[in-house]
Amino acid sequence: MDADRRMLDALRHERSELENHYIDELASGRIDRRQFIRRGAVIGMSTGLMSAILAACGNANSSSSSSSAAASSSGAAVKGGSLKLAMQAPAGQVNPLTVSDAGGLCLLAQTGEFLAFDNNLALALQPMLATSWTPSKNGSVWTFKLRPGVKFHNGSPLTADDVVYTMQALADPKNASNALSTFTSVLTPEGVVKVDDTTVAFHLEAPNGNFPYLVSSDNYNAIIVPKGTDFAKWQQTFIGTGPFKLSSFSQNVSASFVANPDYWGGPPKLASTSFQFYTSQQPQILALEGGQVDVIVQFVVQGAQSLLNSSSYNIIKLKSANHRELSMRNDMAPFNDARVRQAIALCLNRPGMVQALLDGYGEVGNDNPFAPKFPSTDTSVPQRTQDIPKAKQLLAAAGHPNGFQTTLTTEQFEEIPALAQVIAEAATKIGVDIKLKVESQSAYYGKATYGNSDWLDAIMSLVDYGDRGVPNVFLEAPLTSNGPWNAAHFKNPTYDNLVKQYVAAIDLQTQRQIAGRIETLLLQETPIVIPYFIDGLTATASTVHGVNPTSIAAIYLKDAYKTA
Amino acid sequence: MSIEALPVESRAALSAGAGDLRRQFLRDLVHQKAFMIGATVLGFWVLAAIFGTLVVQDPLAQNLSAINQAPSASHLFGTDQLGRDVLARVIVGSRSILVTAPLATLIGTVLGTVVGLSMGYFRGIVDDILGRFVEAFLALPLVVTGIIGIVALGASDTTLIIVIGIVFTPLIARTVRAAVLVERDLDYVAAARLRGERSLYIMFVEILPNVLAPITVEFTVRLGYAVFTIVTLSFLGFGLQPPTPNWGYDISANVGAVTAGYWWEVLFAAVAVATLVIGVNMLASSIESALDAS
Repeated sequence: MDADRRMLDALRHERSELENHYIDELASGRIDRRQFIRRGAVIGMSTGLMSAILAACGNANSSSSSSSAAASSSGAAVKGGSLKLAMQAPAGQVNPLTVSDAGGLCLLAQTGEFLAFDNNLALALQPMLATSWTPSKNGSVWTFKLRPGVKFHNGSPLTADDVVYTMQALADPKNASNALSTFTSVLTPEGVVKVDDTTVAFHLEAPNGNFPYLVSSDNYNAIIVPKGTDFAKWQQTFIGTGPFKLSSFSQNVSASFVANPDYWGGPPKLASTSFQFYTSQQPQILALEGGQVDVIVQFVVQGAQSLLNSSSYNIIKLKSANHRELSMRNDMAPFNDARVRQAIALCLNRPGMVQALLDGYGEVGNDNPFAPKFPSTDTSVPQRTQDIPKAKQLLAAAGHPNGFQTTLTTEQFEEIPALAQVIAEAATKIGVDIKLKVESQSAYYGKATYGNSDWLDAIMSLVDYGDRGVPNVFLEAPLTSNGPWNAAHFKNPTYDNLVKQYVAAIDLQTQRQIAGRIETLLLQETPIVIPYFIDGLTATASTVHGVNPTSIAAIYLKDAYKTA
Repeated sequence: MSIEALPVESRAALSAGAGDLRRQFLRDLVHQKAFMIGATVLGFWVLAAIFGTLVVQDPLAQNLSAINQAPSASHLFGTDQLGRDVLARVIVGSRSILVTAPLATLIGTVLGTVVGLSMGYFRGIVDDILGRFVEAFLALPLVVTGIIGIVALGASDTTLIIVIGIVFTPLIARTVRAAVLVERDLDYVAAARLRGERSLYIMFVEILPNVLAPITVEFTVRLGYAVFTIVTLSFLGFGLQPPTPNWGYDISANVGAVTAGYWWEVLFAAVAVATLVIGVNMLASSIESALDAS
């Protein structure tokens, strides 16, 4: 034990204040080994260093989790072979700048790579095209060191120029990139600076403690392409640095890829992969059950009970921040009274919802976007539970002892219409009569701007939010005073200030402290209701191993293989 | 020539003949097995729509701890994905369709009769202009036209009734026009013209009673189509809003559960649709046969 302590002290010696902060958190048990790896990776600690620290803290044996689940095996690996996958059809052109759908982002990740990889299975941010990254003292400048010896599929080497070109294009408002939802107020094109051929610095608009996530696979548009690439024509070549190269692509039909023998991480185990495109889930399930495909990249519980109830398939379950958000117009009666909003939130039987609507594949929400999977979530904030008498009291105190009638507008998407019906039924217990208006997604989103969108304009609105590695987008876009997706029309300067502080905080302890204050404030104000977070689900045949999916519907196949 | 223009004795003889024809028609009708089966099925669903809520559980009541339960003594048709009683939703689901389908068909029949009478009676430029509109309408798939109308007007019961009524108008107009073309050249129409009757009088008082038979058949046939169209639009998400019990929406919402083995969540609603459509079609077929015979 003394030897370990001495070793730990020695390791601390040359570490930064921030790195020592995380070592203290680990040593005191405030974070577990997985959170330590995750946070250590964010601030650029090397894998070797983290292993040594974990060993010194007595966690040596459990420190090698990393992507073990992804590479787990129940049989001998078979070299070569082809893997067939079913996936959602891309909604349009596969353009790294503009892709915003599950199908498109999955294809980007087949040949493209990011500076860092958010490994959802290991819950850790891992190096990809960057080998390390370090923040300035206040987190306003992040410097990334690039991996040497990486080649694009066209044979040209990866350099800082390629990274600068890609990131400037993504951060440029003129390009209307989908990545702007992440980079707005964070990064401008001028902020991306080449330091030398293998080093790039990002000068941010404001300090940001989670910036590495914003250039990782989480920001699915941010695959690094060669300098000078015409993004609109990218789908003709799919040139990237990944373990697979394009073989063929047929719009709305399929895409196939072959192994890249020059891959920096060594060639993949599979010789090729083939993706079949589908527009709905049922045919994908039938294709897997019929043996036409080996993998369903991502599916939802509704209609998939045959897979979930069968032992013939491997189900990969990923903790996710994917959630549904019920917003109530804070600027319109009767929801301009926080007591009314709280009353609605108190009606809900959240564990029952998770069981009935998600078959248990999810976790209850606490009306704030801090999902249980985020290390910064303050879990000491009390969980809101169903309390009908209290809800009735609040409603009466707000001047609605006999309830009221209102309309909930929502979209035809996955389990959302069923959730809307559960919410409406729950509200009847306190006398609130909620009429439902379920629309097609195009009608619901409209132009997605205020005054032109049922999503943003309706008095009650229920929408879906996909997974993210950090909660920044969830905290800003739908809840800050000038957020572009603020369907609740929630305007609270205290909240805005807390979010600014949270985004700027670099160390986990500060983030968690601020998170606790945000969670408490959102419980008091209840501008939105988040009833649950939904697990990401991937299904494979039992002969398939080593696939590494993410909860935003991408899948990484470098270590995938099949057994007989 | 109308019956009023005849001598009193001839009028009495014709009236007696018309009465005999009606009696003969009814006799032929009730002696057809298809009519009795169709009437029984339709009668069952009408009773279910009126009194269903008195005998089944609350179709909206959810029980999240009893979802996807197989048929049992407590839930004869099982429960759905929100723990609602499927039997109650099937029985009460008949209410909306038995209101919307007949009203939509009635609107289509009334409008179609007016248009068809005008086309057949006036012919010429009126027939040409209205005929082109009818042909253009008929060239569009029924459901697609319905979806466009619902998207434009917004989904509701009223919209559904109006849209389906309008969609059916050209179909019925075409049938009425063909019947009127035969009638307009008969003597009683010529006599009415000689008497100086106005066109509207001739169309609606002289000709209309004589083309009621094909209109009646068309109404019953279209009623079956209306049921099917409403269910299809609801299945596609363009019908009544949840949680109102609705056969089409319930089939759509639960269809994925079939592969998981929860067949009861779809089967009973589908059987309900099938029985109602078949029942109405049997009625239509037997009415047509009886009219032909008499």
